[in-house]
Amino acid sequence: MTMVTSHIATASELPIIHRRRWGSWLLGAAALLLVATIVAAGIQARILDLPVFLDYLFSPLILTGALNAIVLGTLALLIATAIGFVAALMRVSGNLILVALSSTYVYLFRGTPMLIQLIFWFNAVPIMFKTITIWLPFMDAPLVSMPTTAVVTPFIAALAGLSLAEGAYMSEIIRGGILAVDQGQRAAARALGMTQKKVLQQVVIPQAGRIIIPAAGNQYIMLLKSTSLASAVGYLELLRIATDIYSSNFRVVELLAVAAIWYLVMTAFATALQTTLEKLFPQR
Amino acid sequence: MKAAVSVMDISKAWGTYAALTNVSFDVAPGEVVALLGPSGAGKSTILRCVNHLDTITAGRIYVHGSLIGYSERSDGLYELSDVEISRQRQSIGMVFQSFNLFRHLTALQNVMSGPVHVLNMPKDKARQIALNLLEKVGLGQKGDSYPSQLSGGQQQRVAIARALAMSPKVMLLDEPTSALDPELAQEVVVTIKALAEEGQTMLIATHDMGIARDVADRVIFMESGRIVEDGPSNEFFASPRSDRAKQFLSRISAH
Ligand SMILES: Nc1ncnc2c1ncn2[C@@H]1O[C@H](COP(=O)(O)OP(=O)(O)OP(=O)(O)O)[C@@H](O)[C@H]1O
Ligand SMILES: [Mg+2]
Repeated sequence: MTMVTSHIATASELPIIHRRRWGSWLLGAAALLLVATIVAAGIQARILDLPVFLDYLFSPLILTGALNAIVLGTLALLIATAIGFVAALMRVSGNLILVALSSTYVYLFRGTPMLIQLIFWFNAVPIMFKTITIWLPFMDAPLVSMPTTAVVTPFIAALAGLSLAEGAYMSEIIRGGILAVDQGQRAAARALGMTQKKVLQQVVIPQAGRIIIPAAGNQYIMLLKSTSLASAVGYLELLRIATDIYSSNFRVVELLAVAAIWYLVMTAFATALQTTLEKLFPQR
Repeated sequence: MKAAVSVMDISKAWGTYAALTNVSFDVAPGEVVALLGPSGAGKSTILRCVNHLDTITAGRIYVHGSLIGYSERSDGLYELSDVEISRQRQSIGMVFQSFNLFRHLTALQNVMSGPVHVLNMPKDKARQIALNLLEKVGLGQKGDSYPSQLSGGQQQRVAIARALAMSPKVMLLDEPTSALDPELAQEVVVTIKALAEEGQTMLIATHDMGIARDVADRVIFMESGRIVEDGPSNEFFASPRSDRAKQFLSRISAH
């Protein structure tokens, strides 16, 4: 007994020497050197005039653009989530017509460039429907009647375009989350006497929700950057404003850097939001 | 006395494959019936048909007098709505081989889920019922654990408590011990035995001869979707009538 104890004691007194990973250190040093060279070249060439850059960083126009981008991206994500949820439910419903509709939607909207979709909504809808009229029952005159071009503003077109395109991606993400909740748990819930709706509310959505958070966070970041596409329909978002400014003063690098910084800030915000949600709803 | 479960000449086909063929039997109130038979015999299918998780192709099933899954009219049996079938399932408890606890809920919340979300019982009252049931299955201390923090035997006992929380008239258990090693299985057998002694009506599909011999009053032995033998448990084990049952038992005791 004592023999064994002393043996263990001596063993634990010996220090543990970890193996040095020289290869990865060398690789890291080389990578740092490369980055330093590029940055140094940039500074030497004076590609960026710091005072100009700082001047524009907090200019009201740029800030408006950044705010517009956040508003557009966030609203689009919310609407896309709702669309994606409905499309995902249709896809798993087992009803042939609903499945076909949903998969066609996903195919079309995932399969064409977002830019084409945005321009399409802005130009085609006002041609397809010349005026928008809303009638209420028992009224002689329509409640609302106005030309479609007045309704489909650049903002609405951009929001509709981004939401519909993103909805296709979200529907696949949500469908994945729904399918990840096993049949056994559904059977157990049905056996308890839950209706299909209750099973969805109490068992499927809470678990699917947790599964889709990381992927949805990723989509949010993509969407915030995709708001720059809205410039194609004349919406004054961040990149459009930066472009407008540098096309008159030719400070291209400074203004692009300003825009990039704000996109990075938005991304940091989205990442923090995702991390918080993941902590709030830990995976069980 | 009226039967708790009445299975009347049911058949079930998966496409052209006949999983059940003309199966009939009754379960009396308070009776514990074990469904035995080789893999693929149709034991799980029977249980899933009794609460309409699977639909029968012919025949009828009654639980405490109500026709399961259909309403009878002069020109046929019409399938009930989701809401109506759900209501029938409220009095039929089910326990699965793979436990199937809700992974995002604690043990206590799992047991409360039926009363709260199906019966709309106030949370306080449901919690009290759930605590008592967890105590009863020997898990009074484990209420705040998530399924991933429980052993298989503990998870299965939570699953039993979850089913009991609905005060079911009949309990269906599908191989409740098959996913457990012998020691953990024993915990579950003890729980099931206690239920049997309280007079809970149970229909248990199992490969566990301990349950069939010591807990069940009666054994139904099946093969290929048909009932081969149906009789008191002690008679079945002492002197099986059919050759097929004899063969089945000798192979098991050879282990
Ligand atoms: N969803 C399904 N689709 C097609 N065939 C099925 C399905 N479910 C079960 N079956 C078939 O029905 C037959 C009976 O299956 P069941 O699960 O009832 O057997 P069991 O007696 O419970 O077997 P085990 O002891 O392995 O659990 C099997 O041949 C099986 O392959
Ligand atoms: Mg089975």
